[in-house]
This record gives sequence, C-alpha cells and structure tokens, in this order.
Amino acid sequence: MPREKSKSKFVGMRLSEDQNQALNRLQKDSKTSKSDVLLRGLELLSEYYSLGLDKPPLNFDLRALESEAIHLAEALKQVQDKKQAVRQMVQELAEVDRILDRYHGQKNALIQVLLDIQAQNRWLPKPALIWVSERLGVPLAQIYHIATFYKAFSLTPQGRHVFHVCLGTACQVRGAKRLLDNVVGVLGIEPGQTDAKQKFTLTTVNCLGCCALGPVMMVDGQYYSKPGIKEIQQIAASCD
Amino acid sequence: MSKLNSAAELKKFRQDILSGRDPDKPCVTVCLGTGCLACGGEKVYQAFVAEIRKQGLEAKVDIRRTGCHGFCERGPLVVIFPREICYLKVTPADVPELVARTLVENKIVDRLLYTGEDGKKIAHEGDIPFYKHQSRIILGTNRLVDPTRIEDYIALGGYSALAKSLFVMTPVEVLDEVKKSGLRGRGGAGFPTGTKWETTRNAPGEPKYVIVNADEGDPGAYMNRSVLEGNPHSVLEGLIIGAYAIGAHQGFIYVRQEYPLAVANLTVALEQARELGLLGDHILGSEFSFEVAIHRGAGAFVSGESSALMTAIEGRVGEPRLKYIRTAVSGLWEKPTNLNNVETWANVPAIINKGAAWFNGIGTKGSKGTKIFSLVGKVKNTGLVEVPMGMTLKQVIFDIGGGITGDKKFKAVQTGGPSGGCIPAEYLDLPVDFEELDKAGSMMGSGGMIVMDEDTCMVDTARYFVKFLSEESCGKCVPCREGLKQMLLLLENICAGRGREGDIELLEELGEVMTEASLCALGTTAANPLLSTIKYFRNEYEAHIREKRCPAGVCKDLIHYYIAPDKCQACLLCAKSCPTGAISGDKGLVHVIDQAKCTKCGACFEVCPSRFGAVTRISGRPVPAPVAAGTKVQGRK
Repeated sequence: MPREKSKSKFVGMRLSEDQNQALNRLQKDSKTSKSDVLLRGLELLSEYYSLGLDKPPLNFDLRALESEAIHLAEALKQVQDKKQAVRQMVQELAEVDRILDRYHGQKNALIQVLLDIQAQNRWLPKPALIWVSERLGVPLAQIYHIATFYKAFSLTPQGRHVFHVCLGTACQVRGAKRLLDNVVGVLGIEPGQTDAKQKFTLTTVNCLGCCALGPVMMVDGQYYSKPGIKEIQQIAASCD
Repeated sequence: MSKLNSAAELKKFRQDILSGRDPDKPCVTVCLGTGCLACGGEKVYQAFVAEIRKQGLEAKVDIRRTGCHGFCERGPLVVIFPREICYLKVTPADVPELVARTLVENKIVDRLLYTGEDGKKIAHEGDIPFYKHQSRIILGTNRLVDPTRIEDYIALGGYSALAKSLFVMTPVEVLDEVKKSGLRGRGGAGFPTGTKWETTRNAPGEPKYVIVNADEGDPGAYMNRSVLEGNPHSVLEGLIIGAYAIGAHQGFIYVRQEYPLAVANLTVALEQARELGLLGDHILGSEFSFEVAIHRGAGAFVSGESSALMTAIEGRVGEPRLKYIRTAVSGLWEKPTNLNNVETWANVPAIINKGAAWFNGIGTKGSKGTKIFSLVGKVKNTGLVEVPMGMTLKQVIFDIGGGITGDKKFKAVQTGGPSGGCIPAEYLDLPVDFEELDKAGSMMGSGGMIVMDEDTCMVDTARYFVKFLSEESCGKCVPCREGLKQMLLLLENICAGRGREGDIELLEELGEVMTEASLCALGTTAANPLLSTIKYFRNEYEAHIREKRCPAGVCKDLIHYYIAPDKCQACLLCAKSCPTGAISGDKGLVHVIDQAKCTKCGACFEVCPSRFGAVTRISGRPVPAPVAAGTKVQGRK
C-alpha cells in the first residue's frame, strides 16, 4: 500500500487522515479509548505473528478477547492495511526479542528488560508486555505489578522530550516550586502530563542527585541549574 | 591489557605505569561529575583539549577527565597539577588564558581563584576552607583518577589491598581486620560491617552473595553517585575483598537508573577489571573467583531497603519483608547475602592497606572513620564534604560550608533524609556521629545535610517529607500506608489554615504508632521528620493552628503580598516580574497588588530592591486596604 502522508503517530503506527477518522468513529461506537481499540486489534494480530516465527508459539489464550477483538480488527482493516500492521508489530516485537536475548531469557532480568523497552519506546506498549510475559514465562499480572510499582515505567506514550523537575529537599528549600510553576507555564502541561503532539512530557522527581546546584531540571539527559523562565523557553524551543 | 597472574605482576604493572609518568609534568584535571557537567564542564574540557593542541603542548601537558571533586557550588572546577591550583567557575572563554598563563608561563590567574572572607585569593586547592577542614579518604582520590582508566587507579596503589587480602591474609583475617576497624554501615542504620560479614560467612547455605546498595534514594544526598561515577574501582575493590572474606562468588551492584553515568562508568570498570584478571576466574592467579553483575533500579525509594532490594534483583516488585531472619542469613534467593552501602565498600581497601588501628584512630568512641555528607540547601559552599566522625555541626556548616546564604539566620539542619529529623540551632555544637544524631531525634542516614534558614517553614518541611514518604510507601503494611496518609491530611490542613486544636497531639500519636508497628525501616522512621519538628518547633505549629499565621511566610494559604505605599518607589520591577499581571501602577504611581489575581508566587517580593523593601509578606493579620489608584509616590529615595 502506498504510504500516505502521515498525520499522527499512535502506538507505533502512522495514521493517515482517513484512518484517523475511522478510528475516531470506532472509538465512539465502542466507547473505549483510542489506544484500547488499536491495542486489542494488535493483540489479535499477534496471533498471526506467532505463526510465522521459529520462537515458541504463543500459547496464551486470546479467545476471550477474540469476539471483541474481531470486530475491532475489522475496524483495524479500515485503520491500516493488515499486512503492514503485522509487519510493524513483527518489527517491534523483534526489538523486544533482541532485548530479551541480551539477558538470555532469564526471569530475574524482568525489570532490566522492561527498563530497556521503556528506554527504546519511551513507554511500555501492551503487545510488548504480552510478548515478554510469553518468553520469560512470567504472568502478565506480575509484569503489570512491576510496571505500575516503579516510577521509571509508563503505560502511556511519553513525549519525545521529558522535562524532569527535581523536588528533592535541597531543591525544595531553594525554590523548586517556582521552577516547576515556570516550566508548567512554558510547556502548558501539568506534571505527569504529555502534550497532544507527544513532544513534551513533564514529570517531577524526588532527587536528581546534583543537590548542590538546586533547583535543578533535567531534559534529555542534560542537567540545568537554576534555569530562569527565558532559559526554559529556549530549552523548549530548541527541542524538535 | 593482558591478565595479571600474581601480586608481583600487579606490582610490576603499577611500576610500569608510574615509570612512564613524570610527577612534575603539568596535568589539567577537569571535574566532570554530574554537577560540573550541568554547569558546562564538558565544554571546558573540550576547550582545553583544543587549546592545548593549538598551542602544540600535547606532549608537555596531560589532561584528565575526573569525577566529582565535591565543591559543586563553584563548578566547573579545574585543578592544575603539580601545583594543585584550583580554578573555580571556569568557562570555555577562560581556557586560552589559563593555558597561556598557568601552563606556559607557570603563573596564576587570580580572577578565577577562590576568594576568602577577607578578600584574599587562595590558589592551592587544599588551602580553600571548604577543603581544608575535610579529611578526604574516599573522595580525595576522585580528582586523581579518570574513572574510565583503571591504570589511574592502579597507579595510586589500587587493588594492592586486594592482592594483600588474597595472598597475605586469610578470609578470617580480613574479616577480623574490618571488625577491629569499627567500620559501621554508611547507608543509614550504622550496623557494624564486620559483624554483618561474619553473620553471612557463618550462615549455612551456598552460594553466598554480596551486594552494593547504590539505590541512593534520599532526596538531598548524592555522595554514592559521586563515588561510583568518580572512582568505581574503589567500590569494586572493596566488594571483591568483602566477597573473599565472606566466601561469596557472585556479587551485584544495584544502581538507580537515574544515575546513567554511574552505570556507564561501572560497566567500563568491570570490563577493565576482568581484562586484567582482577575479576572473574582465579583473580590474580589465586584460587578465588568472583563475578559481578549490575542491576539497575527502576525508581522506587523503598527498594533501597535491603530485603526489598534483594526482591528487586530477583526480578520481582521491590517490597520489603519482615526480617525475623536477617538478610545476612536468608537474603537473595533465600541464600546468605551481605549488603553494604557504596561508601561502606569504598572504605574497605583503605582499611586493609593501612590497618584497622589507623581507621580506629579517626572518629569518636562509637563511630569510626570519616563520613561523606552532602552539604546542601541554604549554605554558601554547597557540595560533598568528607569529615571525620565527631566534627560538630557548626564546624561542618560554618567552617566548611561558609555559613548561611545571604547571611540570614540559621534555623535548622535536616540530616538523614526522610528518615531523619531537623536539628535546631541549640544543637549546633553536636558532634556528628551515629549516637549523637540519634539522641537528637534525627539520624545519620545516608548523609544528606540540608541547611535551612529563617525563610524555611518547619511545618511545610514536615509536610514535604510526609508527602514524599506517603508516595513512596509500598502499601504493604497498614501503619505506614494509612498512618502517612492521615498524617499528610492533617499537615495539609494545618498548612492551609484549617488546623484545629488537638491536631499536634494526634500527629504525635500517629507517629508513635507508626514507629512501633510498621514493617520496615521506611515506616518506623517515617515519623522522624514530623516528630523532630514538633519537638523543636512546636510554636510554629501552634502559630499555624491558632493564629493562622506562617512565621516563615512560606505556606501560601496563610500569606499575602502587600506593597507598603510609603516605601514604594514605583520602579516597575515588581509589576514586570508578576506572571499574572496582578500588580498595577505606573511611573511615579504607587504599585498595588490585586489580591484576587495574586498567585502568591513571591516573584515581586524577590525583585523588590532591598533598599526599598516595599513588597512585604503579611501573615496572621488582614491585608490593609489598597491605596486609591493613582496615588503618587511619597518622596524619592
């Protein structure tokens, strides 16, 4: 299928205007979130994927999901060419495979695996978690236990640039609150939020570990000591 | 690099490194710890590389990237050896001058030196008051090594303690030496390290494990980070020696994922140690084999607790368990496991090399050796300081830290992170060691030392810690989970002016129950910040509750900003800084704050020139009615 000019990107797929509209209609009908619609469709597709692989086939039970997923997958047809979606997902899960292989499929590496997936995608997509559960033999519920317990993980897509504002004690006594207010003002999102274009995510952290320079902010691995409102604007503007 | 197969080969390797080095050759060391990196240290380093090349000095001058020197407040730091001239706040623009003057002409550039209280310039690093009063057993080597070059560490005598342990001492002798040294855990609780090692060594069950706890989660503390980033081999050497004494063949280093540079430097360190045969099978040709794996934490404060950390390494959710049986006996995969803090491990090589008696000679009766503190908050010289146990708070804060920023009044120092407490001015002469801090209602903790001045509200501080802990509580046991929640509710009410009589007593009661009944150390110590502030600053709580007044002017719901009409000089500064446009006024006209629009951000208060002092903070009494619009300024100053 000739690739149309993409309008937005969602759970790893580029959607055209038509596809987006179809998705919106479907979302309205089924009263579920956009991501659920796509994820359930992807889950169904993961069965196709499993057939074409030399890795142990997926034995988890998708039947329960199937009746729901079938009509969602029908919708997915309108959303995106199935083959392409499968190919995309194969690629994504192959990445997950590479990560799993690095840890020789050891169960105790679960947190490390999730950290790597998080680093790669900026969030933990559900198909990836199902795949990890399958390959490591860890129940999905346990994976969700971990994914929701630790702060490093996100179950929703994060922005391309994450602003970490430190609210550690040392920064706190030196005016971290004001810094946070300023960042909120510049980015237009509250802590914990991601903007609609998935460009920025704003989070607060309890200590970035450079307390002598407080208040501190970290963006894309770069630390900023006592940034003023102008500097924050510059940083935000320099992000693509 | 080829494997070293004996102590003699290690010695020769070291001699070869040393003979290739000229101690008088100038060496530029640029601090590239996280603090200095944040202030642009990397650019300074690159500028030195470029300038030295430009001047054709590559052969005559060495340049070294190092970890944290400690004086983070004045970064980026550059120290030029052999004279150890310390330049502060260096920018890339300064580099050509430093190269031309100091490296070529051997002269000092005054303007980048430390300026003392008396206005005198201090060139030699060790003479700067911040460093002069410290004893830097662990941190001192940071500036001498490039953390990614094992040769630098070996040149300083690195891994000689390991060789001594393996070939001169038996495991029991190593253990006894550590026991005799009186070293206590640097992670917070201060458990005697030797005793812990012995328990694991004697516990039934194989294999045994050793763990480095680098899940430094205390807000306000970052010494573990600096040690790991700046000198990872010192921790690794300590760990291998400990493993030898305990009889472990597998170790883990648990690092929080927020410290990517520490993970990177450790990974390099492990590889280099393996290449040289200092890690792996038959270390230095001996019978002893040992392997280490790095495990990244995923961001949970409670996972720094030993049993929780071990569950996390097992790949499960890092929640603590009841420790009827110590982790030293039944830890990782229910095997005997010895876990120590980064700083504890880093002390081991020095103890083995210099002997227990030497270490025992430093410190107080019950607490031996030095402790690294992160001296931060409202203090002039912030950074990492390493001092002998028993130094008083006053010496640390005023002699090393240089006193309070802006010469305000000292109010309290918070030690021990969220498990510690706030110590008021009356206790400034308190010697800092495990016992004395405990007695004062605080604790050593991992070594955070957050200085607070008169502008800090103690109720708000307690609220801050309780909020932090309630978010970090894993929720497994009721006293901690529910106790913190209720505590936070009460404190938020007090801060918002909704406090009631009896709240203080209720808070105290909650604190006592939590201390008695919680499952792990997070819960049993969670009430410390609250109880210590009630103990020492009860009047502040009472002011909040009875007079609805915040004495420090911090709690937003209890304060208003007001421009005194007789003092306003109509300079427009506050009006320009106001983010919500709540200040009206024009040239020559008194400025007025519209209380309905004011978000109490305090920007106007900060920009109002101190010689005017027109913007004031009002708490506990009604705001005077605003002057009529268009009122003229009374008499220019």
